Amino acid sequence: MVIDFSTYYDLPRSMDSFFEELWKPSSLSQRRMAYPPVNISEDTENIIVMSEIPGMDTGDIELTLNEKSLTIKGSKKSEVGNYYRQERPTGNFQRIVNLNIPVQTDAVTASMKDGVLRVVLPKAKECRPVTIAIDAQ
Amino acid sequence: MTNDVEKKTVTALPKFRPNTDVVEREDGFYIFVDMPGVGKDDLSIDLRENELEIRGRVMYPRQENAKALHVEFGDGEYVRAFTISDGVDREGIRANLKKGLLELFLPKAARFKPRRIEIQAG
Repeated sequence: MVIDFSTYYDLPRSMDSFFEELWKPSSLSQRRMAYPPVNISEDTENIIVMSEIPGMDTGDIELTLNEKSLTIKGSKKSEVGNYYRQERPTGNFQRIVNLNIPVQTDAVTASMKDGVLRVVLPKAKECRPVTIAIDAQ
Repeated sequence: MTNDVEKKTVTALPKFRPNTDVVEREDGFYIFVDMPGVGKDDLSIDLRENELEIRGRVMYPRQENAKALHVEFGDGEYVRAFTISDGVDREGIRANLKKGLLELFLPKAARFKPRRIEIQAG
């Protein structure tokens, strides 16, 4: 074999990586559980869904918005050649994000940068907090 | 002073081992490293003697006023090292970062390339 992997032989480094595993931030406990990983956040006006899908063309990712959910779907091809090591997932993937509140379906925008998908779903107007002015009498 | 603080925040990033494929084709080896969120400026590739080390930093922009509801990935540093043998032509190593996927091409040294041997009719 022409390439070998130092991590197999380098004891100090494997010890390091062992401890790193232990110290992994607990907030990321669901990492690697489902593919692709998804972050969901919200502000007063939008729900923002972000997902790490590296190496994909935007045309190969299918985004579907239903009344109650957003579906991210696609298929990753494997590379041509003789594999020495394969860790990157291949094949079909699908992730469904449930939306608890109505969104303005016609105003949803999606963009992709450096393999990170970002979908901004504006909340429906009736869900936004409204300040009510009080008339003094 | 501010420099010290900055350094501290950088080293505190969690380290991740990026998913990697190693594929051999006729012309050489291809290494594919998943590095979502890493831009060209945040990536470093160093070749020291036999060791090729890849480091990529990912820092997602802070979203002011936004509340995280569900978190599965975040800021971090991807680190991975490979040992390269003499069979690789070092001068010809190429790297290409596109859509969060790093592609490294390690051409085989000329003497390791498959070669057709001509048969001479006597």
